[in-house]
Amino acid sequence: MDHLSAETLARIVDETPRPEEHEHLAACETCTAELDALKAQTEALGALPEILTPVGDWDVLEARLRSEGLLQDPGLFARLGLARTPTWMKAAASVALFLGGAGIGVSVASHGATGSRTPAVPQTAFVADNTTVDNAAVQDAAEALRAAESNYVAALSRYQELRAQQGEDADAGDPRTRYAALQYLVAASQAAVRQAPADPFLNGLLASTLAERQAVLSRISSQSAKKDNWF
Amino acid sequence: MTESQVIRQAADGDARAIRTLYDRYSPRVYAVVRRIAGDDELAQDYAQEAWIRAIRALPSFRGDARFSTWLHRIAVNSALQALRKSETRRKREAPAPGDVPVVPATGDALLQRRLERALQDLPEGMRRVLLLHDVEGYTHEEIGDVLGVTAGTSKSQLFKARVKMRELLRALSGAAQDIGEEAWTI
Repeated sequence: MDHLSAETLARIVDETPRPEEHEHLAACETCTAELDALKAQTEALGALPEILTPVGDWDVLEARLRSEGLLQDPGLFARLGLARTPTWMKAAASVALFLGGAGIGVSVASHGATGSRTPAVPQTAFVADNTTVDNAAVQDAAEALRAAESNYVAALSRYQELRAQQGEDADAGDPRTRYAALQYLVAASQAAVRQAPADPFLNGLLASTLAERQAVLSRISSQSAKKDNWF
Repeated sequence: MTESQVIRQAADGDARAIRTLYDRYSPRVYAVVRRIAGDDELAQDYAQEAWIRAIRALPSFRGDARFSTWLHRIAVNSALQALRKSETRRKREAPAPGDVPVVPATGDALLQRRLERALQDLPEGMRRVLLLHDVEGYTHEEIGDVLGVTAGTSKSQLFKARVKMRELLRALSGAAQDIGEEAWTI
């Protein structure tokens, strides 16, 4: 007796057998057993479980979403669990915070002006006298700052590159986690620079963070490339 | 909060809403891209890409289909597209999927391990069709749409894939008996 072909049995798993196939199956234990096995296999495939996402996957995704502008941070009120606070109350709180901050600023500035505390940056570098700002001097200083930042970023990148070439990895831990963490710092630095665009410290911090993030990204890419080059 | 509210907030970029969707659906998304990709490293990239695409497309989600179905389709398309690209770069070898971190076993762990292994050993074309039909429950028409083939071709590939899968499982079962592992046969 000719048995049904394997592909015919595979079809009958979820399709009605033709009359002659039905007749054969009724008489052939071998084909019936094979069909049952194929049905069990199909059922088992349909019941395969979900697979756990690797740990840290969300962190990397979050960083990417943030860098593409697809993710927005919850506001301060939401973070404090006050998302449902009425708008007028939020506005009042914001004004109070602003006035409080301004008050502290004025107090600190006047305290510094009395001479009891030395300014961190020599004022002569930026200010010609106590009342008139020398625009040329400020522009020169800003230009020098940008050049210094640029040199720093280039030097840091080169340093990271050389260190990677030597196989050194002083930054312990998973570079993807580090990348995700740096994304937070980039977002925070960007927000800070938006608040105070001319602040040299904040600009320097942002530049350093961006350079470090780029270096980590390069390291992740080179690691992936090494793994891909098995052939 | 209902799912449609969460989806609306996620479409506006709300971090918490996006995280909620991720927590709810990431195992399903990861499962399908992992099985398409064949290894964890590729699967992580594919899953990331699928999520990026989905979040980007969220504002266009109208709720005509269930969100899970919509997301699943994006994940499958994204992974298949990425796989096609990577295939032009390198020849793929099937790695042993012994370390696939499945959700705590509800059934026969040994059976699941062998099914995953046999799936990875299937030729690529067969694997895609078998995966989409028998694992993910796609119809032949849907498979045709996703893979760009006719429903008839999908059927024909499926029947061949089932037979090949059966052979692979038999071989795995035989190998297990040779090394004294508990035999399992379908």
